[in-house]
Amino acid sequence: MSLARGVAATVRHAACVGALGGTLGMMAADAQIRSPPQRPIGPTPRAGSWEIGGGPAFVGGYDLGSASADLSRNSTTDTNPFTLFVTDSNVTPAWSPFGRVAYYVSPKLAVEGGVRFGRPVYQIDLSGDAESAPDVVAEETLDQYLFDASVVWHFSRPPASRSRIVPFVYGGAGYLRELHEAQELVETGIEYHAGAGIKYWFGNAPRRFGFRGDGGLSVRDGGFDFDEGLRIVPVAGVSLVFLF
Amino acid sequence: MTRRQRVVAAVALIVLAGVPLSAYLKLGSRVGARTVTLQWRDFPARYFVTDAGVDGVSAQQFQTAIARAFSTWEAVETANLSTEFAGFTAATPRVGDSISVLGFLGRSDQSRTLAATSFFIDTVDGRILESDIYFNTTFGWSTSESGTSGRFDLESIAVHEIGHFFGLSHSALGETELLSGGRRVIAAESVMFPIAFSAGNTADRTLKPDDIAGLSDIYGTSAFSRQFGSISGRVTKNGTGVIGAHVIAFNPRTTRLVGGFTLTSDGGFVIAGLDPGPYVLRVEPLDDGDIESFFDSSFGVDVDFNVKFHERIVVVPRGGGTSNIQIRVTPK
Repeated sequence: MSLARGVAATVRHAACVGALGGTLGMMAADAQIRSPPQRPIGPTPRAGSWEIGGGPAFVGGYDLGSASADLSRNSTTDTNPFTLFVTDSNVTPAWSPFGRVAYYVSPKLAVEGGVRFGRPVYQIDLSGDAESAPDVVAEETLDQYLFDASVVWHFSRPPASRSRIVPFVYGGAGYLRELHEAQELVETGIEYHAGAGIKYWFGNAPRRFGFRGDGGLSVRDGGFDFDEGLRIVPVAGVSLVFLF
Repeated sequence: MTRRQRVVAAVALIVLAGVPLSAYLKLGSRVGARTVTLQWRDFPARYFVTDAGVDGVSAQQFQTAIARAFSTWEAVETANLSTEFAGFTAATPRVGDSISVLGFLGRSDQSRTLAATSFFIDTVDGRILESDIYFNTTFGWSTSESGTSGRFDLESIAVHEIGHFFGLSHSALGETELLSGGRRVIAAESVMFPIAFSAGNTADRTLKPDDIAGLSDIYGTSAFSRQFGSISGRVTKNGTGVIGAHVIAFNPRTTRLVGGFTLTSDGGFVIAGLDPGPYVLRVEPLDDGDIESFFDSSFGVDVDFNVKFHERIVVVPRGGGTSNIQIRVTPK
């Protein structure tokens, strides 16, 4: 009995090292050699399990650059425009609630879909007016929806593991839908994302709650932007999850 | 002739256009309490060119420059209109002879007028029946491709006057400075700005977004109606509508500028022909030109207020309008 606890303790320690250093596979193999086969009781969900969750995500803002309201100068020699005023545009970061449902294809592989809603603020700094209009920050609030799907790969523990922490990586794509204030203009785009995180399970029961934290990058093609190119924003989220 | 007709002497007698009152200004004629928008309804609009040149510009060079200027407006993809050169004529630009004529005319009495456009219209529906443009021989003219120092570029001035020919009035998208004897334009972003660029400058051969929005608002295609939108609202000062305020809409994504005016007693304005997207609005008094260049002297234009940006971003939908924008300005 004490040996078993000792093995479990060793593996738990190794898991932490493995998550950080990439040696998990080696240590897990070592544990399997020293432990007799047994019914999975670790934190790894079984194939066919479902997971639902939700929480807040922090979605980074982005800069839309400067633009000037220019008039053509009355000169045959000076080609520099006459600037009436200058604008500097950005979209602020926003906390965005999200919900997600995942299906475990195998103990390590899950597919998930989710929806996220945020209300970032689009700001334009207006300054440098040629006729001394006071500087102003004009604003509007965007309604930002993201419908996405991801593949999640869990660095799952050996069956005998009692570690409650499961690291994972994910990647996927989504449909971005952004509505300007009054919802009279819609801008849509494709979103790609990738990242990593951990799940912490409260217990090992087949049905259990857990905590998920993850962070990554969201690459948008389209949606509200001034340029045709891709833009990248950081995304981080925490959520309460339930496995069943 | 069952319909009443009358002559409208172009720029000097501009009055407000009918609803919708939009970006820039559209020419209109007031008939009693009613205002009708001036516009051609029968295309192609036929025009003649006076068979006479001046020093530096032959009749043929004049006609070629005029044809290019017409083509510039006809090339606007969001507007439906066409013209036809009907030939040279011995007639001079004189309203009331049932033909539209463009030509040189000696008007030494108009020492500050480069050119002018006049109309013969149907006052029932605003239909333009005839429009004549004269170019004042008091000034030196050029049709040189790159312009000629000391001479006004005929094509540039023709593009402006042909804007009137089609029913556009003046835009206020420009900045001027007062000099002895008048104003000098520092910069402008509309061919329809009332004060011409200096002699030798050819910049006004090219239309600006404000000009295109104005023309399209009058002669817009169905695609224009579907793809562009408008902003409307009120400018008030101490709770009262401001008349004649110049409202500028700027799209930071496209950097296009389109201007309009408050044209009703409650300070109402409409700026049409805008690309869908976010806009910032800026309101300024009409102080960069003689007010009579834009409005009838009885209009009661208020210039006693400070320049101001609107605090909210205004979003223009595709094929629709954003309304009820309220901009409050303060007295100077």
